[in-house]
Amino acid sequence: MGRDHWSAAGLALLAIGYLLAGRRYPLDTLATPGPGLVPLVAGVALLAVAIWLFITANRAGLADAATTGGLIEPAPRRAAGRPLVLAAALVIYAAVLPALGFVVSSFALVVVASRLIGAAGWWRPTLLALGVTGVSYLLFARWLGVPLP
Amino acid sequence: MSDLFVALTPANLLACFVGTVLGTIVGVLPGLGPAGAMALVLPLTIKLGPTAGLIMLAGIYYGAMYGGSTTSILVNVPGEAASVVTTIDGYRLARKGRAGAALAIAAIASFVAGTFSVVALQVAAPLVARAALAFGPAEYFALGLLGLVLLANLTGRSRAKSLAMVLLGVMLATVGMDPLGGAVRFTFDLAGAQAGLSFVAVTTGLFGVAEVLASMTEPEAASAVARVKFRELYPSREELRRSVPPMLRGTVLGFLVGLMPGPAATIASFVSYGVEKKVSKHRAELGSGAIEGVAGPEAANNAAAGGGMIPLLSLGLPFTPSTAVLLSGMLLMSVTPGPFLLRDHPRVFWGVIGSFYVGNVMLLLLNLPLVGLFARIATIPPRYLMPAVLVLCAVAAYSDNNNIFDVWVMVAAGIAGWAMRALDFSPAPLVLGLVLGPMLERSLLQALTIARGDIGGLWASWPAAGMLVAAALASVAPAVSALVRRMSRRAV
Repeated sequence: MGRDHWSAAGLALLAIGYLLAGRRYPLDTLATPGPGLVPLVAGVALLAVAIWLFITANRAGLADAATTGGLIEPAPRRAAGRPLVLAAALVIYAAVLPALGFVVSSFALVVVASRLIGAAGWWRPTLLALGVTGVSYLLFARWLGVPLP
Repeated sequence: MSDLFVALTPANLLACFVGTVLGTIVGVLPGLGPAGAMALVLPLTIKLGPTAGLIMLAGIYYGAMYGGSTTSILVNVPGEAASVVTTIDGYRLARKGRAGAALAIAAIASFVAGTFSVVALQVAAPLVARAALAFGPAEYFALGLLGLVLLANLTGRSRAKSLAMVLLGVMLATVGMDPLGGAVRFTFDLAGAQAGLSFVAVTTGLFGVAEVLASMTEPEAASAVARVKFRELYPSREELRRSVPPMLRGTVLGFLVGLMPGPAATIASFVSYGVEKKVSKHRAELGSGAIEGVAGPEAANNAAAGGGMIPLLSLGLPFTPSTAVLLSGMLLMSVTPGPFLLRDHPRVFWGVIGSFYVGNVMLLLLNLPLVGLFARIATIPPRYLMPAVLVLCAVAAYSDNNNIFDVWVMVAAGIAGWAMRALDFSPAPLVLGLVLGPMLERSLLQALTIARGDIGGLWASWPAAGMLVAAALASVAPAVSALVRRMSRRAV
């Protein structure tokens, strides 16, 4: 199975899960349609499109392989590691935001992100984090009155 | 009409200036595109009130079209998708020592096309709005459906993938209160989801966070920038003369393409380049540094940006991610675009259109002298820029409803958007499905109720039937043309 097969399978699972979750909303009649009608139509349509993608994926995959000589490796494995770490950092950021507040969590996020994206040493990322959190705090919390956590 | 001069009040002029400068910077920077940047500043613009806020958002929208060309020409890195074509001849002109002329022609072409499209917009938008007053739910449903089908046809390489993204967007739009009955759906007892998924959170995630994650696997852009002196900016008389026909062709083409759903500005620039390759007197030089290859596409992408405003302002239907953000900005400011916008908010309507004129002049004055500065912005290393983008995304997502749940939505959308990019799915159709979903659902349910459950009520009127037929044709056309191509190949 190629990448597109897996995407199609994932989309189909998503559609099935959505349809199952949508079963509890009434369809009612066509004259007085209920809140379940559009979710049903959208879920079935996505399932159909996922099947279509699964069937056509084979052909597209072969065509790709033919033009690139079978060398389709979109991202080297080492490179995909750092975005994954940053994604995890973002999840932690959202989790600690209510407890630590905007300034502290954003400061940490900028330092970590800057290091992950390729900044060397510590003082530059720290300076950057001070600047970014300071300016955004002044701009949004002080000047625009956004009630940041 | 006199409301056109609303754009000239000091506050609105300042909003226009800030918007165009921000837009140019966004256009110059590879990575963050206009839709993501507009979503980022939404909380700020809401504070400004509807007219100034929308003027600033619109300034970012067309400022980005201007800025995108600068780095295409000087660094061979397109700032955004609509200026990819400009790299072909623009960068070669720069290497020949004609960078200044290419930049000036790009700015002039953008100005001419931008101004033309505003005039056309000013004439056409009220007419379309008046015609749309006769539209009922069935017509709106047909129009929305046609838009989404065309969008899936024109976006990305795979129609199935684009269609899947549209449907995913519509599904995400069903989270929260349903548009008619008031039933709460798919919230899984999360309090933050009651009002639906925040559009700002989804957009900043898909276009901001995902871009940051994706940029980490891309090689850093070259940092050598050709220096351009102010007096080198004058194109020769020969270059000017050669630029006029492609500029005019690009303008008309771009405006027409801009009316269609999909990444209109990008498509318009490619179409214009293709046309120049067929009809230009100097077509043999295209690809090796011809000024036509800059003048045509740069006019086309700006005209398309103007054309895309017509469905938004007169029908309330955004067909590109950028105009979708504009729509959501308008809704947040309690301005509903559509046929009634001109009647209910004439100052907003004409003020925004007036700001297009002002913005075009500002961009021309700004871009020519400051071109070197903007080119240097493009060389800010991502390791300093991207972390700041992340924090701005979080602020924008949070401040939409002052809700932590929206930050979670942003993070999830960012990670999903990164995966989508890696798997070759475009996020744009998802955003449009999300925006158009509630409108489609509301108009479908209303049309069915009006027709007392008779499904034929959906195509009872001529406009509705016509648009549904067009949608049906558009969904089978690619398959038919592929079949014909295969048969003709077999015949040969």
